[in-house]
Amino acid sequence: MHHNKQIAIILSDTLQCIGLQSILTDYFAPVEISYFPAFEELSNSGNDTFDYYFTNAETMVLNTDFFLPRKNKTMILIESRNNNEESSPSNHIITTASQETIIEQLGQFFSNDSSGSFSNENNKELSSREIEVLQLIVKGITNKEIADKLNISLNTVLSHRKNITAKLGIKTISGLTFYAIMNGFISGDEIGL
Amino acid sequence: MPLVYSNMQLSEVVEEHPSLIPVINRFGIRLGLGDKSVKTVCDEYKLDTDFLLTVINTFLNEEYFPEKKLQTFHTSQIIDYLTKTNQYYQRYQIPNIERHLGSFIAMSTPGNNSLNLIGKFFSSFKNEFTARIEKDEQVWFPYCRSLSEKLQVFSAEGREDALHLNSEQRLDDPIEALLADLKSIMVKHLSGDYNENLCYAVIFAISSLQKDIKQHNRIRYRILTPMVSAMEKLCM
Repeated sequence: MHHNKQIAIILSDTLQCIGLQSILTDYFAPVEISYFPAFEELSNSGNDTFDYYFTNAETMVLNTDFFLPRKNKTMILIESRNNNEESSPSNHIITTASQETIIEQLGQFFSNDSSGSFSNENNKELSSREIEVLQLIVKGITNKEIADKLNISLNTVLSHRKNITAKLGIKTISGLTFYAIMNGFISGDEIGL
Repeated sequence: MPLVYSNMQLSEVVEEHPSLIPVINRFGIRLGLGDKSVKTVCDEYKLDTDFLLTVINTFLNEEYFPEKKLQTFHTSQIIDYLTKTNQYYQRYQIPNIERHLGSFIAMSTPGNNSLNLIGKFFSSFKNEFTARIEKDEQVWFPYCRSLSEKLQVFSAEGREDALHLNSEQRLDDPIEALLADLKSIMVKHLSGDYNENLCYAVIFAISSLQKDIKQHNRIRYRILTPMVSAMEKLCM
């Protein structure tokens, strides 16, 4: 269910790269990191499906054609903020800042992104069809019988069941039964509880 | 997490990971450990140091599971350990959850129906779990022991190879699934007024049982089950 963040680090400084990698894996897992010492190696790899890019200002400036369209997915490491350039603070990490600050900036960077790899909170409500299926499941009726009763195919029943489990986070029949009673989809008497 | 070794002080390890206390208790080791190393303690209690360490390390590290090493231990050691875990669940952990759950339901607003349902869900879990433990004790474990005794007569040579056959893995254990659902129902779907502190106590107790059972099941399905099917083949 968790989507691995695909990350490309394009930095020639090995220590910088390892440091970044360790912060990312410790605090922002799950991540999958590919390391490119030079930009050419990234372009040669032919892979541009990364979710995020980390690089330095120099590489960025030399390859604006690549990075400008990916501006929201790119984080630039700079050494210090002495040139008063406050324009887009969310896309810069000051490498001399404290670890706490860096982690906070990274956190904001990842949460600003709207690609939605984190939030799957929407649509947790069961549809009325799913409720019907749930009511039948907890009465102990088989998938085949549910299909016949509701005039749908067996596959549809299975996919409803899968969605119900995914939405509620409940796998077992007993768990589903108690959920159904708690929410008044079925009364305890109906199933002899 | 770094592994525990035989020359480390057991007291230091336990101070760092108090969740090991019930695990060492299962081996008969009691607190008042002094400064003794794991090895010394094991010698005193006449325990297999290697076996204790393997159990401790797999308990602490979810990723650590040395299948081959575990399969070299004697069937009776594995069964003894699993029996002890079952006893621990029945004597302490289940009653412990029950006690917390009882006061949780009693101390929360009367008439909160969702709590009563959680109570019922737990008792249905308990029934299923108790049934499994009884079956272990009366049928499954004695059967495993008898197989292993029968094989004592045979040479140990062929045994090694056969043991590595067929280590299929059970992914969905019904007991684990029920516990996960019980926790999930409380965390996601609790409604109405309830006593927060006791609710946490219940969830904490459920989580610790869950962790223990997960470890028990790994040994059960990935070590004992393949051992038994290998022995069955040899007995035929």
